[in-house]
Amino acid sequence: MAQTNPPFLSGVPELIVLRMLSGREMYGYEIVKAMRLVTGEAIGFGEGVIYPVLHSLEETGALKARRKSVNGRERVYYSVTSKGKRRLEHLSGEWKRVSTGVNSALGGAVGDPEHA
Amino acid sequence: MPEQFEALRLELRQRGVAPLYVERTVAELTAHLADLESAARAAGLSDAEAERVARATIGDDRAIAAAILGRPELLAWSTRYPRVAYCLQSAATIGTLPGLPLVFCIEHRPELARWVASLGIAVTIVGGLMAALNALIVLV
Repeated sequence: MAQTNPPFLSGVPELIVLRMLSGREMYGYEIVKAMRLVTGEAIGFGEGVIYPVLHSLEETGALKARRKSVNGRERVYYSVTSKGKRRLEHLSGEWKRVSTGVNSALGGAVGDPEHA
Repeated sequence: MPEQFEALRLELRQRGVAPLYVERTVAELTAHLADLESAARAAGLSDAEAERVARATIGDDRAIAAAILGRPELLAWSTRYPRVAYCLQSAATIGTLPGLPLVFCIEHRPELARWVASLGIAVTIVGGLMAALNALIVLV
């Protein structure tokens, strides 16, 4: 049976943020820098929109936040909880499934009698 | 620097975002902006240019507000469930009504004490006069 997951396509930012934070705790600016680095700046966005994503993940228990003062500046560091790790695994699996499907479609099956 | 996001703060408050997340967002955006400006200056830009680039990189306030408002979990409880909030508010108001006279008395203790004292004096004087008149009538 075909699986459906409507919120998934709007969950890409969550997937990337959880992946960034799976290695170590980071604050917002660091997360954005890491995202730009690993995605080769392929994903363009106003950096301020990272905070609703972080707060939303915190609200749902996937992340936890703690305040830390570094070089006289107050930072909010985020780290992944066990619930967040499970969510990352789930989202990664869904992403692989969807991207496999998209790659197959781009492979030329549509309208190609040989692949029909 | 905090006034940089004052308009955003006001809009989020007015649209019912939880105060905790409004303040967190403004504080984190302010720190983020400072980091971007420092990086731009380190890259050789002038102060004015660094400020302009940092503001452009962080994005438009409206886009940030839309991203926050698109996540119901960041809204205040009373915004997410307005009918329940109205019901609770009404119940609380009705429950408070019987206690209002007591609260009024506690808040206006000096006036109330003066009023009681005045009433006591008036009752004493009037009562005394009436007793005196009564005695005169009886004796005469």
